[in-house]
Amino acid sequence: MPDAATTVERGELLLELNQVSKYFGGVRALHDVDLELYRGEVVALVGDNGAGKSTLVKVISGVEHPDSGALRVRGEAVRLETPRAAQSAGIHTVYQDLSLCDNLDAVRNLFLGQEITGGFLRGRPVSRHRMEQQARDVLDSLAVKVRSLNTPVGGLSGGQRQGIAICRALISDPSMVLLDEPTAALGVSQRAEVLDLILRLKSQNRGVLVISHDLKDVQEVADRVVVMRLGSKVAEFGRGEYTSSDLIAAITGAHEAPRSPESN
Amino acid sequence: MSTHKAPAPTTAGEQSTPLLSRLVEGLSGRYRSIPVLFVLGLIWLYFYSRNSAYLTSTNITNLSLQIVTTAILALGIVFVLLVGEIDLSSALLSGVCATVTAQLAIKSDWPLWMAILGGVATGLVFVLAEVLAIIFGVPSLIVTLGGMVILQGLLLVVLPPEFVINIGGTDFAKISSTYIPSGWAFVIAGVGWLLFCAARFRAHRERGAAADSSALVSVGVPAVLCGVVVFGAVAVLGEGRGLPLPVLILVAMLLIASYATSRTRYGTHLYAVGGNREAAQRAGIPVSRMVIYSFLVLGACAAVAGIIEASRLLAVSNSSGGGPLMLNAIAAAVVGGASLFGGRGTVWAALLGALVIGSINNGVQLLGLSTEVQSFATGGVLILAVAIDVVITRGSLLPNRR
Ligand SMILES: Nc1ncnc2c1ncn2[C@@H]1O[C@H](COP(=O)(O)OP(=O)(O)OP(=O)(O)O)[C@@H](O)[C@H]1O
Ligand SMILES: [Mg+2]
Repeated sequence: MPDAATTVERGELLLELNQVSKYFGGVRALHDVDLELYRGEVVALVGDNGAGKSTLVKVISGVEHPDSGALRVRGEAVRLETPRAAQSAGIHTVYQDLSLCDNLDAVRNLFLGQEITGGFLRGRPVSRHRMEQQARDVLDSLAVKVRSLNTPVGGLSGGQRQGIAICRALISDPSMVLLDEPTAALGVSQRAEVLDLILRLKSQNRGVLVISHDLKDVQEVADRVVVMRLGSKVAEFGRGEYTSSDLIAAITGAHEAPRSPESN
Repeated sequence: MSTHKAPAPTTAGEQSTPLLSRLVEGLSGRYRSIPVLFVLGLIWLYFYSRNSAYLTSTNITNLSLQIVTTAILALGIVFVLLVGEIDLSSALLSGVCATVTAQLAIKSDWPLWMAILGGVATGLVFVLAEVLAIIFGVPSLIVTLGGMVILQGLLLVVLPPEFVINIGGTDFAKISSTYIPSGWAFVIAGVGWLLFCAARFRAHRERGAAADSSALVSVGVPAVLCGVVVFGAVAVLGEGRGLPLPVLILVAMLLIASYATSRTRYGTHLYAVGGNREAAQRAGIPVSRMVIYSFLVLGACAAVAGIIEASRLLAVSNSSGGGPLMLNAIAAAVVGGASLFGGRGTVWAALLGALVIGSINNGVQLLGLSTEVQSFATGGVLILAVAIDVVITRGSLLPNRR
């Protein structure tokens, strides 16, 4: 395998997908997809629009259920029925469209749905000071800078918002973080910020799966690139094993076209 | 208003923001009530300068009684606005609930508390029916518009054939005519104020080293401000006949609502649902349940408001809950700072807005101006308040979305 040459040492195998397929009516969104995610690596998922990247992420994060195939988390077969189940399996997802509440401040957004609260009899008061401390820790750990924890996030920049969205995934200290197009709609410097965040997630020894359309981003951060086309995984490259044109060819199917019937 | 657009882009990425845009941001967010208080002050000054009877303790007692119904109804509406819905039926619902209570208490001779529970239950059942339709997917504007028409019919059904129940001289009437003597009012206010200071102090101490302001700023200043307002109000009302019971009920409801919305997990979820339903859903918040809760609060508020209003007017009739009450309550909520677009504003908006609307109405009547002026003023203030709301929510302060 060419893989072994480049990968110096791999961490624990966190996630394993085996022959996962998903149909939406007649549309084959995923077809026999195999995928692995190791601790401390960044895997990029690329492919054209409608290639099935988001569907794959949704299957892993418990939003959609595969029609066939198996998922293993740390070697154990799991069925991720709900997003909650995926979260307790250590998988956290940051969605394409952020999922922040603009009218709430950073702390409330970070803890949304998982607030630290007091007793039932007092109406579950939130422990603001404890949440603020943890929020600071998490934001600092990824070096996300926000002007104030107490102002609504609606007024923050796209990069800061993406930072908060990613930090939000870290509140429960997950081992895997999935990011669906985290750099879409961001300016140059803010994109660099988010790429930094991804590398920091990696250095915290988590497994990171990131969808991106930007091949430059991908080349910058990814240890492995998985290429999808029309619901199938068509290629996988280790770091430094490919050129941009290899990627483009795999994404569009330019060179593969004659071979695709047998390779699928 | 487009002049505010200029400083907005700088808010986006930079760490140091110009003072002006920070000021605007503060006034539209945490300190949203300051401009409202300013307007209220102007209104009081204007009417006082025209007629010095405006700020006598008698008139202030009157004003406080006049606004209670609007404020309690507006409080319910704030809850509904917070989750991004609207309501047009609660004023008439208050009339129906009051009528049910009057029927039970006077015609059927139930004990007053049971009759009140009957009225509140009526309110809860009706809003539950409405909110189920809303969760099913019918827009709340339509559901509550339909509900309003249904309630007009329902009011005639629950009223006796002569369309009026007089409640003068009964226990029911005492709700609004009970005054707490000045001494007791001061005791209640004192206990409330001490609890407020204790809560502030505790919050400050919990923050410990992380606190970004000294004890003086985070405990002392609010304590003094709160003390001035509370004891001042009690002193002024005490000079008249004492603290009216309905005002005490209103304040108690506001305090409970304020705690629930600003300090508890329930409150955070309420704002989240109003701010971004999709995000709330993904975060595991039971969105439909939060909407149901809000409407149930509205139903209870409508019942209480209706009962107090009936007791003040000494009767229920086919005009109960009609007239400008609905518009006044919605206007109060929005003028006070609750956003029509959901997720913004505090429960105190109900009180502030009702004070603004009530002060205008009271002043216009005192000056003997025609009711047209009152209508013009209330309608104008409502539209102005919504315009400000639009600028705050959709305008310059949120550069990332339009
Ligand atoms: N809920 C759904 N119902 C029906 N079809 C769906 C659904 N979700 C996805 N699909 C289909 O599945 C295919 C893969 O979609 P997916 O969103 O995974 O693509 P993608 O790779 O994320 O594309 P993009 O780059 O545009 O985000 C598409 O053909 C899409 O139309
Ligand atoms: Mg997608």
